[in-house]
Amino acid sequence: MYGDLGNKLVHHAKRAQNLAYLPPYQTELVRAVTREVRDLDKDLASILESFQGSFEPHADEAKSCTMLVNHLSMRRNKRCLLAYHRTRTDKLEELVWKGEDVVDLPGQQVSGNQGAADAGSSSLSPQEEDYVRQYSDLLAAYKGQWTDIDLTGSLEPPRDLFIDVRVLKDAGEIQTEYGAITLTKNSQFFVRQGDVERLIAQGYLQKLG
Amino acid sequence: MSYYDLDAILTDAEKVPCKFEIEVPDLGYLDNNPSHPLKAHTPVSLPLWLAELLAIANRSANSQDSSPFLTLSMPQTLSSEVTSALKADPRAVPLRDQSHNFYALATRMMEIFEDLDMCAVLRRTFVTRAGETALHARKAGASDDYKVAGGEDFMRGLEAWERALFLRAHDGAKDSKVWMEGVKK
Repeated sequence: MYGDLGNKLVHHAKRAQNLAYLPPYQTELVRAVTREVRDLDKDLASILESFQGSFEPHADEAKSCTMLVNHLSMRRNKRCLLAYHRTRTDKLEELVWKGEDVVDLPGQQVSGNQGAADAGSSSLSPQEEDYVRQYSDLLAAYKGQWTDIDLTGSLEPPRDLFIDVRVLKDAGEIQTEYGAITLTKNSQFFVRQGDVERLIAQGYLQKLG
Repeated sequence: MSYYDLDAILTDAEKVPCKFEIEVPDLGYLDNNPSHPLKAHTPVSLPLWLAELLAIANRSANSQDSSPFLTLSMPQTLSSEVTSALKADPRAVPLRDQSHNFYALATRMMEIFEDLDMCAVLRRTFVTRAGETALHARKAGASDDYKVAGGEDFMRGLEAWERALFLRAHDGAKDSKVWMEGVKK
Protein backbone atom coordinates (compact mmCIF):
# COMPACT_ATOMS: atom_id res chain seq x y z
CA MET A 1 0.00 0.00 0.00
CA TYR A 2 1.06 3.59 -0.56
CA GLY A 3 2.86 5.10 2.40
CA ASP A 4 4.29 1.82 3.70
CA LEU A 5 7.78 2.64 2.46
CA GLY A 6 7.63 6.03 4.10
CA ASN A 7 6.71 4.33 7.31
CA LYS A 8 9.80 2.17 7.06
CA LEU A 9 11.87 5.30 6.65
CA VAL A 10 10.41 6.81 9.80
CA HIS A 11 11.15 3.61 11.69
CA HIS A 12 14.77 3.95 10.55
CA ALA A 13 14.84 7.54 11.78
CA LYS A 14 13.31 6.51 15.09
CA ARG A 15 16.02 3.93 15.60
CA ALA A 16 18.74 6.42 14.63
CA GLN A 17 17.50 8.86 17.25
CA ASN A 18 18.66 6.61 20.05
CA LEU A 19 22.02 5.68 18.57
CA ALA A 20 25.33 7.33 19.33
CA TYR A 21 26.40 7.22 15.70
CA LEU A 22 24.64 7.87 12.43
CA PRO A 23 23.50 4.76 10.56
CA PRO A 24 24.02 4.63 6.78
CA TYR A 25 21.78 6.76 4.61
CA GLN A 26 18.86 4.79 3.16
CA THR A 27 19.46 5.76 -0.44
CA GLU A 28 17.31 2.97 -1.87
CA LEU A 29 14.36 3.64 0.39
CA VAL A 30 14.41 7.38 -0.17
CA ARG A 31 14.53 6.81 -3.90
CA ALA A 32 11.63 4.35 -3.71
CA VAL A 33 9.49 6.81 -1.77
CA THR A 34 10.18 9.64 -4.20
CA ARG A 35 9.38 7.31 -7.06
CA GLU A 36 6.08 6.53 -5.39
CA VAL A 37 5.30 10.22 -5.12
CA ARG A 38 6.14 10.71 -8.78
CA ASP A 39 3.87 7.82 -9.80
CA LEU A 40 1.02 9.20 -7.73
CA ASP A 41 1.50 12.60 -9.27
CA LYS A 42 1.40 11.07 -12.74
CA ASP A 43 -1.85 9.24 -11.88
CA LEU A 44 -3.35 12.43 -10.58
CA ALA A 45 -2.33 14.38 -13.67
CA SER A 46 -3.85 11.78 -15.98
CA ILE A 47 -7.16 11.80 -14.07
CA LEU A 48 -7.29 15.57 -14.16
CA GLU A 49 -6.45 15.60 -17.84
CA SER A 50 -9.59 13.63 -18.65
CA PHE A 51 -11.64 16.49 -17.24
CA GLN A 52 -9.84 19.05 -19.35
CA GLY A 53 -9.81 21.76 -16.77
CA SER A 54 -13.52 21.69 -15.92
CA PHE A 55 -13.42 19.49 -12.86
CA GLU A 56 -16.45 19.54 -10.58
CA PRO A 57 -15.60 17.63 -7.36
CA HIS A 58 -19.18 16.75 -6.50
CA ALA A 59 -20.11 15.50 -9.94
CA ASP A 60 -17.93 12.39 -9.86
CA GLU A 61 -17.55 11.14 -6.31
CA ALA A 62 -15.50 8.07 -7.09
CA LYS A 63 -12.94 10.07 -9.05
CA SER A 64 -12.64 12.77 -6.44
CA CYS A 65 -12.24 10.12 -3.76
CA THR A 66 -9.44 8.48 -5.71
CA MET A 67 -7.77 11.83 -6.14
CA LEU A 68 -8.07 12.64 -2.46
CA VAL A 69 -6.49 9.31 -1.56
CA ASN A 70 -3.67 9.97 -4.03
CA HIS A 71 -3.11 13.42 -2.67
CA LEU A 72 -3.10 12.27 0.94
CA SER A 73 -0.61 9.53 0.11
CA MET A 74 1.72 12.07 -1.46
CA ARG A 75 1.41 14.35 1.53
CA ARG A 76 2.13 11.47 3.84
CA ASN A 77 5.23 10.49 1.88
CA LYS A 78 6.44 14.06 1.95
CA ARG A 79 6.08 14.20 5.71
CA CYS A 80 7.96 10.92 6.13
CA LEU A 81 10.78 12.09 3.88
CA LEU A 82 11.11 15.44 5.60
CA ALA A 83 11.03 13.93 9.06
CA TYR A 84 13.67 11.36 8.10
CA HIS A 85 16.05 13.97 6.76
CA ARG A 86 15.45 16.36 9.59
CA THR A 87 16.26 13.72 12.16
CA ARG A 88 19.52 13.11 10.37
CA THR A 89 20.49 16.74 9.99
CA ASP A 90 19.71 17.35 13.67
CA LYS A 91 22.06 14.51 14.48
CA LEU A 92 24.72 15.86 12.13
CA GLU A 93 24.54 19.32 13.65
CA GLU A 94 24.94 17.79 17.07
CA LEU A 95 28.03 15.94 15.90
CA VAL A 96 29.50 19.10 14.38
CA TRP A 97 28.98 20.98 17.64
CA LYS A 98 30.71 18.18 19.51
CA GLY A 99 33.65 18.69 17.20
CA GLU A 100 33.64 15.16 15.90
CA ASP A 101 35.10 14.47 12.52
CA VAL A 102 31.81 13.63 10.83
CA VAL A 103 33.07 12.83 7.37
CA ASP A 104 35.59 10.46 8.92
CA LEU A 105 32.89 8.76 10.96
CA PRO A 106 32.22 5.54 9.03
CA GLY A 107 35.68 4.28 9.85
CA GLN A 108 34.74 4.13 13.51
CA GLN A 109 31.32 2.75 12.84
CA VAL A 110 32.29 -0.39 11.04
CA SER A 111 33.39 -1.98 14.29
CA GLY A 112 30.03 -1.06 15.78
CA ASN A 113 27.77 -2.62 13.18
CA GLN A 114 29.65 -5.27 11.31
CA GLY A 115 28.61 -5.92 7.76
CA ALA A 116 25.83 -3.35 7.77
CA ALA A 117 27.98 -0.65 6.26
CA ASP A 118 30.61 -1.31 3.66
CA ALA A 119 33.95 -0.23 4.98
CA GLY A 120 35.19 2.84 3.19
CA SER A 121 31.84 4.10 1.96
CA SER A 122 30.44 6.99 3.91
CA SER A 123 27.20 6.67 5.83
CA LEU A 124 26.23 10.14 4.65
CA SER A 125 24.63 10.99 1.37
CA PRO A 126 26.60 13.42 -0.80
CA GLN A 127 24.09 16.15 0.05
CA GLU A 128 24.57 15.47 3.74
CA GLU A 129 28.32 15.70 3.39
CA ASP A 130 27.84 19.03 1.74
CA TYR A 131 25.53 20.11 4.52
CA VAL A 132 28.05 19.13 7.18
CA ARG A 133 30.82 20.99 5.42
CA GLN A 134 28.82 24.17 5.10
CA TYR A 135 27.46 23.90 8.61
CA SER A 136 31.01 23.51 9.95
CA ASP A 137 32.00 26.63 8.04
CA LEU A 138 29.08 28.52 9.55
CA LEU A 139 29.97 27.33 13.01
CA ALA A 140 33.61 28.29 12.52
CA ALA A 141 32.58 31.76 11.35
CA TYR A 142 30.30 32.11 14.35
CA LYS A 143 33.01 30.99 16.75
CA GLY A 144 35.50 33.30 15.07
CA GLN A 145 33.75 36.33 16.53
CA TRP A 146 34.80 35.38 20.05
CA THR A 147 38.29 34.02 19.86
CA ASP A 148 38.75 34.12 23.63
CA ILE A 149 36.02 31.61 24.31
CA ASP A 150 35.79 28.12 22.90
CA LEU A 151 32.05 27.80 22.32
CA THR A 152 32.26 24.12 21.58
CA GLY A 153 34.44 23.39 24.59
CA SER A 154 33.34 21.10 27.37
CA LEU A 155 31.00 22.57 29.96
CA GLU A 156 32.50 20.42 32.68
CA PRO A 157 35.27 22.18 34.58
CA PRO A 158 38.43 20.04 34.51
CA ARG A 159 39.52 18.44 37.77
CA ASP A 160 43.21 18.47 36.87
CA LEU A 161 45.21 20.69 34.59
CA PHE A 162 47.32 17.80 33.38
CA ILE A 163 46.05 14.45 32.22
CA ASP A 164 47.41 11.16 30.94
CA VAL A 165 46.53 10.38 27.36
CA ARG A 166 47.15 7.48 25.07
CA VAL A 167 47.52 8.01 21.33
CA LEU A 168 45.08 5.95 19.26
CA LYS A 169 46.02 7.28 15.83
CA ASP A 170 49.17 9.00 14.56
CA ALA A 171 48.54 12.71 14.77
CA GLY A 172 51.93 14.14 13.97
CA GLU A 173 53.68 16.83 15.94
CA ILE A 174 51.82 19.37 18.07
CA GLN A 175 53.13 22.51 19.69
CA THR A 176 52.52 23.07 23.39
CA GLU A 177 53.73 25.59 25.95
CA TYR A 178 56.41 23.14 26.99
CA GLY A 179 57.72 22.43 23.54
CA ALA A 180 56.73 20.13 20.73
CA ILE A 181 55.60 16.55 21.22
CA THR A 182 55.22 13.95 18.54
CA LEU A 183 52.10 11.85 18.85
CA THR A 184 52.84 8.37 17.60
CA LYS A 185 50.39 5.53 17.91
CA ASN A 186 50.27 3.61 21.21
CA SER A 187 52.51 6.05 23.06
CA GLN A 188 51.44 7.69 26.30
CA PHE A 189 51.85 11.32 27.45
CA PHE A 190 51.26 13.52 30.45
CA VAL A 191 50.03 16.76 28.92
CA ARG A 192 47.98 19.83 29.64
CA GLN A 193 44.30 19.13 29.06
CA GLY A 194 43.71 22.37 27.18
CA ASP A 195 46.30 21.46 24.57
CA VAL A 196 44.75 18.16 23.59
CA GLU A 197 41.01 18.60 24.15
CA ARG A 198 40.35 18.93 20.43
CA LEU A 199 42.32 15.80 19.64
CA ILE A 200 40.41 13.80 22.23
CA ALA A 201 37.11 14.92 20.75
CA GLN A 202 38.30 13.93 17.29
CA GLY A 203 39.26 10.50 18.50
CA TYR A 204 43.04 10.75 18.08
CA LEU A 205 43.73 10.50 21.79
CA GLN A 206 42.16 8.65 24.62
CA LYS A 207 42.01 10.06 28.11
CA LEU A 208 43.30 7.70 30.77
CA GLY A 209 42.05 7.23 34.30
CA MET B 1 2.65 17.76 18.21
CA SER B 2 5.16 18.82 15.60
CA TYR B 3 5.07 18.09 11.90
CA TYR B 4 8.47 16.43 12.21
CA ASP B 5 7.65 14.45 15.34
CA LEU B 6 8.49 10.83 14.59
CA ASP B 7 6.15 9.49 17.24
CA ALA B 8 3.27 11.49 15.84
CA ILE B 9 4.01 10.10 12.38
CA LEU B 10 4.10 6.57 13.69
CA THR B 11 0.85 7.12 15.56
CA ASP B 12 -0.75 8.28 12.33
CA ALA B 13 0.22 4.97 10.78
CA GLU B 14 -2.00 3.02 13.20
CA LYS B 15 -4.80 1.26 11.38
CA VAL B 16 -8.41 2.01 12.10
CA PRO B 17 -11.40 0.06 10.84
CA CYS B 18 -13.64 1.95 8.43
CA LYS B 19 -16.29 1.45 5.78
CA PHE B 20 -16.54 3.16 2.42
CA GLU B 21 -19.90 4.75 1.74
CA ILE B 22 -19.58 4.74 -2.03
CA GLU B 23 -18.17 2.44 -4.66
CA VAL B 24 -14.76 3.51 -5.93
CA PRO B 25 -13.45 1.68 -9.00
CA ASP B 26 -9.76 2.57 -8.65
CA LEU B 27 -9.23 1.90 -4.97
CA GLY B 28 -9.47 -1.87 -4.94
CA TYR B 29 -5.89 -2.08 -3.68
CA LEU B 30 -7.01 -0.75 -0.32
CA ASP B 31 -8.79 -4.08 0.15
CA ASN B 32 -5.86 -6.09 -1.27
CA ASN B 33 -7.78 -6.58 -4.48
CA PRO B 34 -6.33 -4.21 -7.08
CA SER B 35 -8.17 -5.59 -10.09
CA HIS B 36 -11.65 -5.19 -8.63
CA PRO B 37 -13.51 -2.04 -7.65
CA LEU B 38 -13.87 -1.24 -3.99
CA LYS B 39 -17.53 -1.88 -3.24
CA ALA B 40 -19.56 0.34 -0.96
CA HIS B 41 -19.75 -0.84 2.65
CA THR B 42 -16.67 -3.03 2.40
CA PRO B 43 -14.93 -3.08 5.76
CA VAL B 44 -11.30 -2.03 5.30
CA SER B 45 -8.53 -1.18 7.67
CA LEU B 46 -6.81 2.09 6.82
CA PRO B 47 -4.04 4.08 8.46
CA LEU B 48 -5.22 7.08 10.41
CA TRP B 49 -3.52 9.63 8.13
CA LEU B 50 -5.68 8.44 5.26
CA ALA B 51 -8.90 7.59 7.05
CA GLU B 52 -9.25 10.77 9.09
CA LEU B 53 -9.48 13.21 6.20
CA LEU B 54 -11.63 10.86 4.14
CA ALA B 55 -14.04 10.73 7.05
CA ILE B 56 -14.07 14.52 7.35
CA ALA B 57 -14.21 15.49 3.67
CA ASN B 58 -17.66 16.30 2.42
CA ARG B 59 -18.56 14.77 -0.91
CA SER B 60 -21.96 16.34 -1.42
CA ALA B 61 -22.37 19.65 -3.20
CA ASN B 62 -24.68 20.85 -0.47
CA SER B 63 -22.51 21.96 2.43
CA GLN B 64 -25.41 21.63 4.88
CA ASP B 65 -25.64 17.85 5.13
CA SER B 66 -22.48 15.91 5.81
CA SER B 67 -21.83 12.81 3.77
CA PRO B 68 -18.20 11.73 4.01
CA PHE B 69 -16.51 9.14 1.81
CA LEU B 70 -16.22 6.68 4.64
CA THR B 71 -17.24 6.15 8.22
CA LEU B 72 -14.72 5.52 10.93
CA SER B 73 -15.13 3.27 13.90
CA MET B 74 -13.09 2.82 17.06
CA PRO B 75 -9.96 0.72 16.60
CA GLN B 76 -9.64 -2.59 18.41
CA THR B 77 -7.17 -0.90 20.74
CA LEU B 78 -9.96 1.16 22.27
CA SER B 79 -12.71 -1.45 22.07
CA SER B 80 -15.19 -1.94 24.88
CA GLU B 81 -13.28 -5.00 26.12
CA VAL B 82 -10.17 -2.93 26.61
CA THR B 83 -11.97 -0.04 28.27
CA SER B 84 -13.82 -2.33 30.68
CA ALA B 85 -10.53 -4.01 31.55
CA LEU B 86 -9.04 -0.57 32.16
CA LYS B 87 -12.01 0.34 34.32
CA ALA B 88 -11.46 -2.75 36.44
CA ASP B 89 -7.73 -2.25 37.01
CA PRO B 90 -5.56 0.01 34.83
CA ARG B 91 -2.39 -1.63 36.09
CA ALA B 92 -3.37 -5.09 34.90
CA VAL B 93 -3.59 -4.20 31.20
CA PRO B 94 -0.39 -4.39 29.14
CA LEU B 95 -0.99 -1.29 27.02
CA ARG B 96 2.00 -2.07 24.84
CA ASP B 97 0.20 -5.11 23.46
CA GLN B 98 -2.67 -2.86 22.37
CA SER B 99 -0.53 -0.27 20.67
CA HIS B 100 3.00 1.08 21.05
CA ASN B 101 1.61 4.60 21.08
CA PHE B 102 -1.51 3.86 23.04
CA TYR B 103 -2.13 7.30 24.55
CA ALA B 104 -1.16 9.17 21.41
CA LEU B 105 -3.62 7.07 19.41
CA ALA B 106 -6.29 7.48 22.08
CA THR B 107 -5.82 11.26 22.02
CA ARG B 108 -6.22 11.31 18.24
CA MET B 109 -9.37 9.20 18.44
CA MET B 110 -10.80 11.42 21.16
CA GLU B 111 -10.31 14.40 18.86
CA ILE B 112 -12.50 12.69 16.32
CA PHE B 113 -15.12 11.03 18.50
CA GLU B 114 -15.50 13.11 21.66
CA ASP B 115 -16.41 10.20 23.88
CA LEU B 116 -16.46 11.74 27.36
CA ASP B 117 -16.86 8.45 29.22
CA MET B 118 -13.89 6.89 27.52
CA CYS B 119 -11.94 10.09 28.09
CA ALA B 120 -12.52 9.77 31.83
CA VAL B 121 -11.43 6.14 31.79
CA LEU B 122 -8.25 7.01 29.90
CA ARG B 123 -7.41 9.86 32.24
CA ARG B 124 -7.82 7.65 35.28
CA THR B 125 -5.73 4.98 33.57
CA PHE B 126 -2.88 7.37 32.93
CA VAL B 127 -2.85 8.81 36.45
CA THR B 128 -2.91 5.39 38.09
CA ARG B 129 -0.28 3.93 35.82
CA ALA B 130 1.96 7.00 35.93
CA GLY B 131 2.12 6.76 39.71
CA GLU B 132 3.01 3.11 39.52
CA THR B 133 5.60 3.78 36.80
CA ALA B 134 7.27 6.54 38.80
CA LEU B 135 7.41 4.32 41.85
CA HIS B 136 9.16 1.55 39.96
CA ALA B 137 11.46 4.04 38.25
CA ARG B 138 12.57 5.63 41.49
CA LYS B 139 13.25 2.27 43.02
CA ALA B 140 15.23 1.19 39.98
CA GLY B 141 17.13 4.49 39.79
CA ALA B 142 18.19 4.34 43.42
CA SER B 143 19.57 0.85 43.04
CA ASP B 144 21.53 1.47 39.79
CA ASP B 145 19.54 -1.18 38.06
CA TYR B 146 16.90 -1.21 35.35
CA LYS B 147 15.46 -4.44 36.70
CA VAL B 148 12.48 -3.92 38.94
CA ALA B 149 11.80 -6.43 41.65
CA GLY B 150 8.26 -7.73 41.27
CA GLY B 151 7.27 -5.30 38.50
CA GLU B 152 8.57 -7.04 35.38
CA ASP B 153 5.15 -7.82 33.99
CA PHE B 154 3.98 -4.29 34.51
CA MET B 155 7.12 -2.84 32.97
CA ARG B 156 6.77 -4.95 29.85
CA GLY B 157 3.30 -3.53 29.34
CA LEU B 158 4.37 0.11 29.27
CA GLU B 159 3.68 1.96 26.04
CA ALA B 160 5.98 4.54 24.45
CA TRP B 161 4.94 7.55 26.50
CA GLU B 162 5.12 5.63 29.77
CA ARG B 163 8.52 4.33 28.80
CA ALA B 164 9.78 7.85 28.34
CA LEU B 165 8.31 8.72 31.72
CA PHE B 166 10.02 5.76 33.31
CA LEU B 167 13.35 6.68 31.79
CA ARG B 168 13.14 10.28 33.00
CA ALA B 169 12.16 9.29 36.53
CA HIS B 170 14.87 6.65 36.57
CA ASP B 171 17.58 9.03 35.38
CA GLY B 172 16.38 11.71 37.76
CA ALA B 173 16.63 9.43 40.76
CA LYS B 174 20.01 8.21 39.60
CA ASP B 175 21.42 11.68 38.96
CA SER B 176 20.30 13.00 42.33
CA LYS B 177 21.95 10.00 43.95
CA VAL B 178 25.21 10.70 42.11
CA TRP B 179 25.01 14.35 43.09
CA MET B 180 24.44 13.53 46.75
CA GLU B 181 27.51 11.33 46.74
CA GLY B 182 29.54 14.08 45.10
CA VAL B 183 28.55 16.60 47.74
CA LYS B 184 30.11 14.55 50.53
CA LYS B 185 33.59 14.80 49.04
